[in-house]
Amino acid sequence: MVDTAQSEAPSGVLAVVRVNHDLVSVEALLKTCYWFSRDFVCGVSHSEPGQSTVELKPKPTCLTSPQDAKEQFIAQAMDFALRERITAKTSDVRDLLLAKAFSESGVLEETPQGVFGDMVEEENPSGMFKILSNG
Amino acid sequence: MARSFYPLEKFAPHPQHVSLLPFQFTRLNGEELLVNEAGEFLFAPDGTVRALAEGRVGATSELYKDLKAKHILYDDTSSPLLDVLATKIRTKCDHINGGTKLHIFVVTLRCEHSCHYCQVSRQTATKGEFDMSHETADRAISLMFDSPSPHVTLELQGGEPLLAFDMIQYIIARAKEQAAIRDKGLSIVVTTNLACATDEMLGYLRDEQVKVSTSLDGPAFLHNTNRPRPGNDSYERAIDGIERARAIVGYNNVAALMTTTSASLDHVEAIIDEYVRRDFHAIFLRPISPYGFAIKTKGRTGYEMERFLEFYKQGLAHILNINRSGYRLAEVYSQILLQKILTPNGTGYVDLQSPAGEAWNVLVYNYNGDVFASDESRMLAEMQDWTFRLGNVHKDSRRSLFTSEAALSMFEASCNQSLAGCSDCAFQSYCGADPIYHHATQGDMYGHRPTSGFCTRNMAVIKHLFSFIREDDPETMGIFWSWLTNSPLPAKRAVCA
Repeated sequence: MVDTAQSEAPSGVLAVVRVNHDLVSVEALLKTCYWFSRDFVCGVSHSEPGQSTVELKPKPTCLTSPQDAKEQFIAQAMDFALRERITAKTSDVRDLLLAKAFSESGVLEETPQGVFGDMVEEENPSGMFKILSNG
Repeated sequence: MARSFYPLEKFAPHPQHVSLLPFQFTRLNGEELLVNEAGEFLFAPDGTVRALAEGRVGATSELYKDLKAKHILYDDTSSPLLDVLATKIRTKCDHINGGTKLHIFVVTLRCEHSCHYCQVSRQTATKGEFDMSHETADRAISLMFDSPSPHVTLELQGGEPLLAFDMIQYIIARAKEQAAIRDKGLSIVVTTNLACATDEMLGYLRDEQVKVSTSLDGPAFLHNTNRPRPGNDSYERAIDGIERARAIVGYNNVAALMTTTSASLDHVEAIIDEYVRRDFHAIFLRPISPYGFAIKTKGRTGYEMERFLEFYKQGLAHILNINRSGYRLAEVYSQILLQKILTPNGTGYVDLQSPAGEAWNVLVYNYNGDVFASDESRMLAEMQDWTFRLGNVHKDSRRSLFTSEAALSMFEASCNQSLAGCSDCAFQSYCGADPIYHHATQGDMYGHRPTSGFCTRNMAVIKHLFSFIREDDPETMGIFWSWLTNSPLPAKRAVCA
């Protein structure tokens, strides 16, 4: 991710940020823009393959300085990229946990889709929970 | 005598397989706050999340043990604890279980007050056509007990419900009869300004074991400003009513709520002191609901959320000082959030639930039989916005209410786990979705979190509470725990000379 100097910003634009999608995905970038939309209009364009450019145009209520805006944008984008990595590593076990949590509460009317087998559980079918592989 | 120990290989080996569990994180004051799916949290040094993503947290480190204990990661030895985590998630979401518990009956729209911010469309005290009929009450009672919940709470409100006292008597008798037939638990509350309460009425409420919830906005000058009535004596009547209700209905069966108007913002300490003077031990520093007359009269009652947050923080500081001086006074909004943060349990507070508590946990039966997802959605209807009217007691069943277009569209926006801005939020398990608030304030049930007053308020309040938790001052935490456990304040520790 590379940020440009304020002097390169077009008229009305407080800051310009270039984003390398090898580091920050389009989804993470859009989530960052979503949170910046309180104070900025975020203009996103694909400048070249694998890269986007974001122009931050301040709204009248915005009090952020150009340097702060760029630093905060980059920090938030990197955090969203990090969240994506955590989600990718944990989404399967999250599905398993939620299925376990609610299957016993009577909330679910139908068997959840997918395979919810748990290695430990399958070795101990008389355990507390009864969700075994449905494959 | 020589002692022998098992050889090293008898003990658990270093984990070979380390996996992450789902969690969210945010940054607070140079640290990372990691929150797992059940709301358990851990403050960790900056860089911890990146180290976790890259598998660089050493298995012998103290941090590793903390992360494992907080269900942020698991390894060969802790896989069975996934069942424990699933149980914790279920416990936190217990509000989903059992169906609608709170049922609000609007027995009349009549009221002798004309509060600027009033959350109902008050009618003059003589218009009987705005009272609930016996037929409507019977149908509403039947629907209330159709809820799968084994115990329901019936809240009688208005307008001023005591102006329709005969209807209150009718509803209470019928509800008790039906509760016995259907083998359900029943609690009853009357929400009243007490201005018209006679000793006979209070005696009846005592005999029927009905609790009283009333309004106290602060000292006389503020209460009477907020709540105009003929004679300008709302405060005097409220205080007199509170004292008589305590004497007749029972001291602990009378609670008070305050509403924060723009006139209140400069007087938070005076408001709190009034609650102490009146010997209340809980106060709810809650913002005005952006509905009903509060929108019509925004110039007189409205304010920015930032001003409310200043009010809340100043108020909480004052409340903590009062507790430090030995008088136990809980701040209810903080108490609700602290319960979610510090204990395994969720709360019954509808505004901070996901799936949102509207309809799931509360239904409102208007005087004319219309059924709404919450009191706030009824206020919107009084402003001619019928988005959240689920149906009418005279033609709908519980099933048709919950499968109505109004209900289904609201449920779509009811889970913060799937809302833009919330789905990645570290405070997700402490917060709610509140589609009705976002519809009312932003014209969109899903809402735009960066400009949402709901999000601004809850983010700020939760961060403020976490600042106390991180500071871990024993006296402050002792006060918080006394609120959470409903126990006396911790004894002051002796100071050595």
